[in-house]
Amino acid sequence: MTGAVRATIASRPRLGIMKFASCDGCQLTILDLEDHLLDLLVRFDLVEFAEASSYRSSGPFDIVLVEGSISTPEQAEEIVRIRRETPLLVTIGACATAGGIQALRNWADHDAYRAAVYAHPEYVESLATSTPISDHVAVDAELRGCPIDPGQLLELLTALTVGRRPQLPDESVCLECKRRGTVCVLVTGNGPCLGPVTHTGCGALCPAYARGCYGCFGPREAANAPSLARWFGRDGRSDADTARLFSGFTAYAPPFRSVIDSLGGPPIASHSGEDA
Amino acid sequence: MVMTSAAVPGFLPRAGLDRLLDLLAADGRRVIGPTVGQGAVVYDEIHHASDLPAGWTADQAPGSYRLRQTGTERQFDYAVGPTSWKHETFPPRVPLTIGRRVNGQVTFEDALPAAPPVAFLGVRGCEIAALLTQDAVLARGIAVDRDYAARRAAALIIAVECVTPADTCFCTSMGTGPEVTTGFDLAMTELDDGFVVRAGSPAGERLLERLELTAADPGRTTAAQDAVAAARERMGDPVPTAGLPARLIAAAESPQWAEIAERCLACANCTLVCPTCFCTGVTQVSDLDGFEATAERTWDSCFTLGFSKVAGGNFRPRVQDRYRQWLTHKFATWWDQFGMSGCVGCGRCITWCPVGIDVRAELMAVAPPPPALKAAVGIIEPARPTTVKSVPPAASAALLTAPIPLPAVEELPPTYARTFVAERRRETVDTVTLRFDTSDPDLLAGRPGQFVMAALPAFSAAPISVSRFHRDGLELTIRAAGAATRALCELRRGDSVGLRGPMGRGWPVDAAEGHDVVIVTGGIGLAPLRPLVDALLADRTRFREIRLLYGARSPADRLYVEELSELAARPDLDVGQIVDRAGPDWFGRVGVVTGLFDQGHLDGPNAVAYVCGPERMMTATVDVLRDRGVSDDRIFVTLERHMECGVGLCGHCQLGKSFVCRDGPVFSLAEMGPAFGREGL
Amino acid sequence: MHGTHVTTGEQRFDVQGITRVEGEGSLRLVVRDGQVIESQLAIFEAPRYFERLVVGRTPNEVLDIVARICGICPVAYQMSAVHAFEDLGEVAIEPSVRTLRRLLYCGEWIESHALHVYLLHAPDFLGCANAVELANLDRAAVERGLALKKAGNRIVAVLGGRPIHPVSVRVGGFSKVPTKRELQALRPDLDAALDHALATVDWVATFVAPDFEREERFVSLRHPTEYPMNDGRIVSSDGLDLAPTDWETAFQEEQVPWSHALQAHMGDRVPYLLGPAARITLAADQLHPTARAALDRIGLADAIRRNPYWSIAARAVELVHAVAEALDIVDGYVPPERATEPWTPSAGTASWATEAPRGLLFHHYELDERGRIASARIVPPTSQNQAAIEADMTSFAPSILDEPHDVATHRLEQLIRSYDPCISCATHFLDLTVEASS
Ligand SMILES: Cc1cc2nc3c(=O)[nH]c(=O)nc-3n(C[C@H](O)[C@H](O)[C@H](O)COP(=O)(O)OP(=O)(O)OC[C@H]3O[C@@H](n4cnc5c(N)ncnc54)[C@H](O)[C@@H]3O)c2cc1C
Ligand code: SF4
Ligand code: SF4
Ligand code: FES
Repeated sequence: MTGAVRATIASRPRLGIMKFASCDGCQLTILDLEDHLLDLLVRFDLVEFAEASSYRSSGPFDIVLVEGSISTPEQAEEIVRIRRETPLLVTIGACATAGGIQALRNWADHDAYRAAVYAHPEYVESLATSTPISDHVAVDAELRGCPIDPGQLLELLTALTVGRRPQLPDESVCLECKRRGTVCVLVTGNGPCLGPVTHTGCGALCPAYARGCYGCFGPREAANAPSLARWFGRDGRSDADTARLFSGFTAYAPPFRSVIDSLGGPPIASHSGEDA
Repeated sequence: MVMTSAAVPGFLPRAGLDRLLDLLAADGRRVIGPTVGQGAVVYDEIHHASDLPAGWTADQAPGSYRLRQTGTERQFDYAVGPTSWKHETFPPRVPLTIGRRVNGQVTFEDALPAAPPVAFLGVRGCEIAALLTQDAVLARGIAVDRDYAARRAAALIIAVECVTPADTCFCTSMGTGPEVTTGFDLAMTELDDGFVVRAGSPAGERLLERLELTAADPGRTTAAQDAVAAARERMGDPVPTAGLPARLIAAAESPQWAEIAERCLACANCTLVCPTCFCTGVTQVSDLDGFEATAERTWDSCFTLGFSKVAGGNFRPRVQDRYRQWLTHKFATWWDQFGMSGCVGCGRCITWCPVGIDVRAELMAVAPPPPALKAAVGIIEPARPTTVKSVPPAASAALLTAPIPLPAVEELPPTYARTFVAERRRETVDTVTLRFDTSDPDLLAGRPGQFVMAALPAFSAAPISVSRFHRDGLELTIRAAGAATRALCELRRGDSVGLRGPMGRGWPVDAAEGHDVVIVTGGIGLAPLRPLVDALLADRTRFREIRLLYGARSPADRLYVEELSELAARPDLDVGQIVDRAGPDWFGRVGVVTGLFDQGHLDGPNAVAYVCGPERMMTATVDVLRDRGVSDDRIFVTLERHMECGVGLCGHCQLGKSFVCRDGPVFSLAEMGPAFGREGL
Repeated sequence: MHGTHVTTGEQRFDVQGITRVEGEGSLRLVVRDGQVIESQLAIFEAPRYFERLVVGRTPNEVLDIVARICGICPVAYQMSAVHAFEDLGEVAIEPSVRTLRRLLYCGEWIESHALHVYLLHAPDFLGCANAVELANLDRAAVERGLALKKAGNRIVAVLGGRPIHPVSVRVGGFSKVPTKRELQALRPDLDAALDHALATVDWVATFVAPDFEREERFVSLRHPTEYPMNDGRIVSSDGLDLAPTDWETAFQEEQVPWSHALQAHMGDRVPYLLGPAARITLAADQLHPTARAALDRIGLADAIRRNPYWSIAARAVELVHAVAEALDIVDGYVPPERATEPWTPSAGTASWATEAPRGLLFHHYELDERGRIASARIVPPTSQNQAAIEADMTSFAPSILDEPHDVATHRLEQLIRSYDPCISCATHFLDLTVEASS
C-alpha cells in the first residue's frame, strides 16, 4: 500500500464490502471478528455490506473489500465501476484473488459444454470462465485464503487505521508449521502437502490437523510448483493424481495453473456427456 | 557399594530414570525430552520415563522420515528428529518490547517473559555443538539476546550419546559427535539395561551425587564407548571439510546454484529445522489505533523474499541467491563471522527438505574437493566443540579489521532513548530533517557515518544515519520511503521517538589525514556524509584538497540547498553539483554524478574517497575512482541493507561475510573484496 | 434499492437486492386489483456449478469442495456428504467420532443461529437497519449475540481448525481428533453461552411479531433418541416417513424461469418448509431438557408453527439446545481409539440427508468403479423452502396492501428474512436443471 493510497484514507474511512461469485465465507469472516467488530465499526464507516445491513450505497468509498470472482458480464462491468470510485481496492479470498474453486470450469470444453446444455449460448459465454478481480482491474492489496484468515483481516484493517504496512508475508506455509511445532506431514508420509509452494496466512492449519495443505491461500512468491509436482510423481503417483492436488481453490492462479496444464489438466467433466 | 564421583561414571539402571525425572521435578525444572508425537520423535514435556520413545526409531533419508518399532526397551535409539532445542532456548516468537504512543509521546517497556528452570534430556553431541554455536552468535558477540541468554542459563543439559545415527547424519565430518565431550551437565550412554552416566559440570556432579548410583563396571564403560565408536564408524566422513569454505567462496558464480534452484522450493524448512540458524524478524502486534504495540522477535529465514527486501528493492530476488546465501553462510562465512562452522552435521536439513535436497551432495557438486582430499576420507579432525576448528586460512585472511572500535555491548530487546523533536525542516517534497534534543551520552558520542534505529510503536524500527551531531542533540534526515519513514517524517516539534545507537562503523575520518578527499554522493546519500564534511571542516588543516560531488534527480531533490551554497562559497572546499533533469531555474550541470569527475584534477594515488548513494551510482563511481588510481583500501562506501536489529543478531543485513549493521555500514572496497556490487548477495 | 413502479390498479413490490441474507436474491410481488398475480423469490447469485465441479474427484476431495457452497454452513455440506460416503462404504465409525460430528454440527448451529438472530433478524423487530444501530440501542444484546457466535465458532475451530471451511472432516472420521483437554478448554465459553442462549430465548419472547398465520407443511429428520442433526428418518407434518437416503422418492426439483435456483416440491405440489420451526414442530420431544424447558416457559411452540416471524424463537430455543448438548458432549468426551476408520472407496450410490441450520440438506452421489464421483445432486434447504416462501408472500400480501408502498416493501423483505434464506447455498442448481432438460 503506497503513500498515494494512504493519503486518501480519511479519519473514518467509508468502507464497502461487495461480493461477486462466492460462498460469502470471506465477508462472514468480518462478522467473525466478534471481539473487535463493534470497535471496528466505530473506526470504519461501513456504508455497504448487504449481508449485514439494510443500507445500500452506491459509493464513493475510501476502501472496498471485494469478495468473489468475476463470472458474468454484469460483474465485469460492475467491478470496473467500483474500481473507478475506490482509491483502495482490496480483494479478499481465493475467489477474488484466484478465481476460486469455480474457476475449475475454465478448463472445461466450452463448446461441447455450451452446445449440449444451454438454449442460450450467448448467456453461457458469460459463464464460461471465473476469473480473479485482478484480471479485470488493478488491485491495491489482497488477502488470500478460502476463506481469509480473521487475524490477517484484522491486521489489514489495523494497519489501515494506524497507517502502517500490513504484515502479510508472502512466504511458504512451512515457516508457520515450524514455528508452531508441527511435524512436516510431507516428510513423515502423511502428505501430500502443498505447503511449500503455498502462501502463508492460515497459521499452517492442515498439517496441524494431520493432513497436507491443499493450497487454499494460493501460490506464494517464487512458488516452485514444478519441483514439488516432480517430487509427488516420484513415488508412482500418476500425472493426473498430481494434477488433482493442485486443482483446488486456487487452481487458476498462474503457477498452479501451468503445473496442472503440464500434467494434462484438472479432473473436471469437460462436456455434459461425461456426466450422463 | 562404590559411589560415583565426578571422575567415576555411574550406572543408572533403566528403572532408575524416573528417579532422575523426580529429582529434576523436585528442583522445579520442567523436563523436555524425546517423545513420540505426530509421527516422529519430537521434543516435548516429559513427566515419566514412560513418555520416552521406548522401542522407537526412525528411518531417515533425504525428504523422508518414517517411525519404526525396534522391539527393544531402549529409549534413545533414534537419531535427531524435526524439533531442536532452539525451540526452547530461542522460541519461534518472543515478545521484546511493548511500545506506547499517546499524543505524540512514546514509551517503551521491556516485555521479555521469564525463563523458568528447565532440563533438556537426551541432548546429542551435534546438538550441544549447536547450542554452543548459538551461544557464540546470540550471547557472545557485540550484542546479547537477553531472552536467549536467560533461557540458556536456565537449562540443565543432560546429554545422551548417539549410537544410532541416521543415514542423513554427518556429525563426524563436522567434528561435533557422536561423542559428547563438552557443554553438558550430565552425559549418559544407553546400554540395554540402563545408562552409563558422567557429570560435566558442578551442577551435574551434584545431581549425580543425589542419584546415588553405583559405579559403572568396566565392562559397561567399555560397551558404552564401543557403541559410540561404532556409530562414528558407520557415518564415515561424508563431507570432507578441509578447505571447504574457500572452495565455496570461490564457487560463488557456479552454474550449480541455478541448477539447485530448479529443485529448491525456497520453503525455508531447512533453516527452521537447523539448530543453529538464528535469523529473526520483528513483528508488530498493535491494537486498532496503534496506541500500543508489542514487538515480537519471530523466526525468519533467508529463503523468504521479504528477508532481504528494502524500501524500493530486493537484494536476493532469485531462489539461487537465497540458496547460495544459506549454503555459503553455513559452511563458509560463518567462519568469518564467528570463527566456527555454522553446520553441526545433524542432517535435519536433509531429512526435512520436502524435496530431499541433500547438502552433502550439493556441497560436493558446488565445491568439489580436490582428488587428493577425496582419497583421505575417514581422517576426521575432532574439531569442535572441544577445540574450535582453526579458521580455514582463506577465510581467516578475509576477516574484517575494524578501523574504529566496535560499539559497546548491545542488547536485545533494545532500549530506546526517548528523544524529542526540537526542530523540523522540510528538505524536499518527501524528505525532512528532524533535529532531536537528547542528553543520552551514547547518542551524543556518535561518529560520522553511524546510524541510529528510530522506533515508533507499531512501526518497524528504521535504521537512519545521523546527518549532524550537536553538543546537545543530533539531526536525522529522513525520506518517506515507506510506512515507518513516513510516520517519522510526520513528527512535529515536541513529539518524541525512541532512538537507539549510534550503531555500526562510521566513516574512517583519520584515513584521510594528509590526503586529498573526494566525497561522491547522490540524493539522500548526502545525509550520512554531512557529519563527515562537518568533521573534515572542523579540522580542515589535517587534510589536503576536499571535493564534494553531489548528484540529484532534479534541483528540487537536493538536500540542504542553502548549506550547499554556503559550502560552495568556501575557498577551502570544492563543491560540484549535477542533476539528471534540470528545471527552468537551474544553471548548473546536467547528467550523472560521475560526470563531475571531468572538472578538476583528481590525484588518485593520493586521494581518499567516501561514497554514498544508490547501489548503481556507487558501482559507477567506484569504476571511475579505480580508473583514476584510487586504491581499494582508500575507497569507502556505505551500504543499505534490510535491518531488523542493527546489532548483528537478526541476520537480515548480511552481505557475504559481513553484517552490514555491525561491520558496516561503512566498508572499504578492500574489505568487501568481490562482494561489492555482486548480484544477489 | 427499493424500486416502486405503480401502474393503474397494479401494485408492484420489488427488492432488487435483499439485504441481511446470505448471498444475492431479490423478491417481486405483483398484485393486480387485490389479487396476487406474481410472487417470486429470485436467486440471482452467479451459479458456480458445484455438482459439476465434484465430478471426477475422490470422496475426501468432495468434503473440501462442497464446504465452499456456503460460508455460513460449510459443516452441513461436509456432514451430508461424509455420511453419504460412509453409508455407501459401510464404514462403522466409532461412537465417540459420531459424537464429535454432532459437536461440530452444534458449533455450526450456534454460530449460524446467533448470526441470524442477533445480526440479521432481531434488528427487524427493533426497528434497526443493522447490528450497529441495534448496538446503539442495546449494546449488551449485541455483545451477547457475538459471544454466542464466538462460542459456536470456537467449537468448529477446535474440531476443524477454523470456523469457516474446517479441514478435519474425513471419510471414516477426522484427520485429527481433539484431546480431552482441548475440548475441556471450551467449557468456560460454553457455560457462558448457555446463559446467553437462555437470555436469548427470553429476549426474543418479548418481541412483537406481525400478525400473520398460515398452515404449513413441515419436513425434517426425526431420530428416536436425538434431536435431528446427522441422523434420522425424513418425516413431515402430514405423515411422510423415509430413510435419509430416499429423499428423491418423495421430492422433485424443477426450474423456475425467474431464478438461478431449482425449487423442490413434493408430488402434490403443496409447498413445505424446513428449518428450525419444522424441527421444533416435529421433534420438540427430543430437545435437550434445558431447551425444552425454555420452549415451554415462553409458550411459543404454537406461534412458531403458525407464524414465520416467530422462527426467531425457534432459533433461540435451538441455540439453547445446541449449547446444552455441546456441554454434555464436552463433559462426556472420551477420545476415540482411532481418528479415522480405514476405508476403501467403491462404486455405487451414496446419499444422505442431515439437518443444516436452515433445514434438511440432501446429497446424492454416483461413484464410478474407481470410487470417483460420476454425478452429484445437492439439494440445500433454501431451494426447498423457496416455494413455501413464495406461497407465504402470497398469503401475506393482503395485509400490507394498505400500507405506504415502502413500508409494505420493507415488511415483505422482513418476511423473507425470517426464513433465513441462504442464497449462496441455493445457487448451484442451474447445472442440474440443464442436465435434466438436455
Ligand atoms: C544503515 C542505513 C542507514 C540509513 N539511513 C537513512 C537515512 O539517513 N535517511 C533515510 O531516509 N533512510 C535511511 N535508510 C533507509 C531507511 O532505513 C529505509 O528507507 C526504511 O527502513 C524504510 O522503512 P519503512 O517502514 O518506511 O519502509 P517500508 O518499505 O515499509 O519497509 C520497512 C522495513 O521492512 C522492509 N520491507 C518492506 N517491504 C517488505 C515486505 N513486503 N516484506 C518484508 N519486509 C519488507 C524494508 O526493507 C524495511 O526494512 C538507511 C538504511 C540503512 C540500512
Ligand atoms: S507439513 Fe506441509 S506446510 Fe508444513 S512444513 Fe511440511 S510441507 Fe511445509
Ligand atoms: S533446500 Fe529444501 S528445505 Fe531448504 S528451502 Fe530449499 S526446498 Fe526448502
Ligand atoms: S544483524 Fe540484524 S540488522 Fe544486522
